[in-house]
Amino acid sequence: MIENQKNYLTYPKGIMSWLLTLDHKRIGLMYLFGGLAFFFLGGLLALGMRLELAAPGNDFMSNDTYNNVYTLHGAIMIFLFIIPAIPGALGNILLPLMLGAKDVAFPRLNLASFYLYTLGALFTLYTIVSGGVDTGWTFYTPYSTTSTSNVIPMTMGIFIIGFSSILTGLNFIATIHKMRIPGLTWYKLPLFVWALYGTSLVQITATPVIAITMVLLILERLLGIGIFDPALGGDPVLYQHFFWFYSHPAVYIMILPAFGIISEIIPVHSRKKIWGYKFIAFSTLSIAFIGFLVWGHHMFTSGQSVFSQIVFSFITYFVGIPTGVKIFSWILTMYRGQVSFTPPMLYALSFLFLFTIGGLTGIFLGAVALDIHLHDTYFVVAHFHYVMQGGTIVAFLGGLHHWWPKSMGTMYNQTVANICCLGVFLGFNGTFFPQFLLGLRGMPRRYATYDPQYADLHSYSSFWSAILGLSIFIAIMNLLWSLRKNNKLDPGTNPWGAMTLEWTHTTSPPHPHNFEEEPVLEHGPYDYDKVIVEPTFKK
Amino acid sequence: MAHQHHITPLSTYLTIAATLLFLSGVTVWVSYIDLGAMNIVIAMLIATTKATLVALFFMHLLWDDKKLLTIFVMSLMFLGIFITITLLDTEFRGGVNPEVKNPINKRAAFYDSLPLTDTHGNPVDEHGSSHPEEDEDHH
Amino acid sequence: MSHDNSSPSSLQHHFHDVKQQYETAKLGMWAFILTEVLTFGGLFVAYIVYRSWYPEMFINANLLLDVNKGLLNTVVLITSSLTMALAIWAIQKKNKNLSLVMLILTFILAFMFLGIKYLEYSHKFEVGQLPGEYYSYMGPEIAHINNPHIFFSIYFMMTGLHGLHVAIGMGLIGWLIYATAKGNLHSKYYTPMEMIGIFWHLVDLIWIYLFPLFYLIG
Repeated sequence: MIENQKNYLTYPKGIMSWLLTLDHKRIGLMYLFGGLAFFFLGGLLALGMRLELAAPGNDFMSNDTYNNVYTLHGAIMIFLFIIPAIPGALGNILLPLMLGAKDVAFPRLNLASFYLYTLGALFTLYTIVSGGVDTGWTFYTPYSTTSTSNVIPMTMGIFIIGFSSILTGLNFIATIHKMRIPGLTWYKLPLFVWALYGTSLVQITATPVIAITMVLLILERLLGIGIFDPALGGDPVLYQHFFWFYSHPAVYIMILPAFGIISEIIPVHSRKKIWGYKFIAFSTLSIAFIGFLVWGHHMFTSGQSVFSQIVFSFITYFVGIPTGVKIFSWILTMYRGQVSFTPPMLYALSFLFLFTIGGLTGIFLGAVALDIHLHDTYFVVAHFHYVMQGGTIVAFLGGLHHWWPKSMGTMYNQTVANICCLGVFLGFNGTFFPQFLLGLRGMPRRYATYDPQYADLHSYSSFWSAILGLSIFIAIMNLLWSLRKNNKLDPGTNPWGAMTLEWTHTTSPPHPHNFEEEPVLEHGPYDYDKVIVEPTFKK
Repeated sequence: MAHQHHITPLSTYLTIAATLLFLSGVTVWVSYIDLGAMNIVIAMLIATTKATLVALFFMHLLWDDKKLLTIFVMSLMFLGIFITITLLDTEFRGGVNPEVKNPINKRAAFYDSLPLTDTHGNPVDEHGSSHPEEDEDHH
Repeated sequence: MSHDNSSPSSLQHHFHDVKQQYETAKLGMWAFILTEVLTFGGLFVAYIVYRSWYPEMFINANLLLDVNKGLLNTVVLITSSLTMALAIWAIQKKNKNLSLVMLILTFILAFMFLGIKYLEYSHKFEVGQLPGEYYSYMGPEIAHINNPHIFFSIYFMMTGLHGLHVAIGMGLIGWLIYATAKGNLHSKYYTPMEMIGIFWHLVDLIWIYLFPLFYLIG
């Protein structure tokens, strides 16, 4: 281990060394704080919605205001938090470390990615302060081509953030292919790397299409080109094809990194070799590929041809299979392991429960006959919150708790963290399970008010949303509180006894250049059956 | 540092360039012959041949690591998926309900206010005589 | 391979050796080409869909495009691909001056392409063949077409996006001329020239499809 106390947080010094950094760990940290800031903003918008919906009638939001709130909530959460957060924050910090590399393939491009994210975020903030946008995050035409709200700045923001995503994906692909240490073959990689690889492939292939779609939408508004607006001779369903060709693979951009985090947490906190390594690795690639074939299942009520409905529905059923393979592999990993109920593990267990519900309900929606009734109801809202929040965000929180000691060199209060995890689990189920019932009973989404028969379920949902919000807030504050002075861990700390390169060959926090000398690979990432790595935890 | 052990010979470059120019001429020539639906097929075949020559020789894919060729082919494959599956919708509208096959308004509304013009873009009156532009108010 | 084995100034610190750096750059460049194919691809989808719905729109409206200018642009772009490739060949053969000549020729040909495009566009603007709601040409050729503005919208978007890439390529080639003249690029390190060359060939590739699809149908 390195004798001097230099780590990437403290060296080099000065604000310019951060703003112009080429260190992937610093860039990751900046993504982390940017992402958390937008998570917070999106969360406030959500709580505002739940407050409005707690009772029927327009309590404090007009319908127009409500339209703006849910649009911004969706766009901010998806484009400014969920899509960039795990690859941008955890991916950036960890990927080179897991590969034994000194940095990503293209460090300057990495910084450019972050600044594009920032620029896109500024466009979004401008949209908010200049009157908002009320089309829904999906910007369906012809409303989005004729709405008087600020569609163009918002879509410009998404266009720019798209490039941030593309460049990150490009960087990671090149890094994973080319920057591994000798002996680190594909099948010895941590599964988080496989997850980032699959995500990056989807990012570079799908995101260009949302970019061109946003351009076309802007031109339709500015010039009336006539591609998407029926009044101009266009076809609104074509817009939906363009939009969902990206946005369906985008949900895999959101979930694959989360799967990767779970694949790291479970073997470590069960002190057991992962079961089905190759199953998990190849299921990642299968999901990435099949995800490109199913986008029309978002369009079952749009008026597309019945023939394509059948095709999309049929293929949609296949995409659940590789996901199921992963769930079984994780469960089999825990079986006969020494499971410790640490915060990361509790989040991983929550993930298994919540994501399974979310994934299953997605399969329900894949049946055309069922979707005709459930489309645009709260059933869909519940489904995607179970996968995006119960899935990705829970996994993200788990990953933060797992890698916090490594990347920050401090340990948070684990009791508080566990209580917050329980609060998240209960709050989440309390908020969103009633929404399945609301949807089945016909409550439409994107409505500021509703008939009295839905009032009870809405009030439960709103109550538990406060618990959920509070728990997430305290969980993050607990993490940040650990950064106080004089709370540093010994740099050699490995509190979970993990055995991937970022734990075994770097200090906590890591040195600016990652490794004193290039690591020599000694064992696989989860060889708990062959190697003993004792947890160490010293202050 | 150059790591191409292989430097493409000058003769290869010149031959390929000549072939590309030749094929460009062919495609123009064929376009003047009416072959019905085959015109577009032949035009695309010629274009694909030219594109293949550019990719393999000018872009060096023939001699490079096969991963790079794979990336390029995959990009075309995903584009193909986008096109094909979208066409499964657009080509089969009206399969169950014939009335949804065509748009309600075939012509965009703004055409109602546009006068006929001659080939120079000057408006034409009812007698068919054209009036060269006198004012800017054209739209 | 005979090259300078001690760390050349072109080797970045996070790479082991120049071979790794070169191969990584190439992989990154081709991944970027993939994104460009998908971006233009979206516009090709719009073309294909509207063409299959309104074949008469494309077949007749294309009468309003100048095949000669299109063919000339094709020749210009193919030649510029050749000169770009020869610029790299020359630098591999350690002939800096020939490489510079080839790069300058490529630059001039790119400029010619944009010049011819400018002539085409300005004619269309004069007669009112503009994209979207600005369209006003109602001449005899398009008498039986319902929405000619859609054809011109697609035409301007695809050739416009392509033209933008030509302009960006010109900027990059200009930088190559500067770097080569200064001696920063030479027979032992010319990776940027190769990468920009790949980009330039892609620009040529896209035009190879745009030319028949717009100018030769009907």
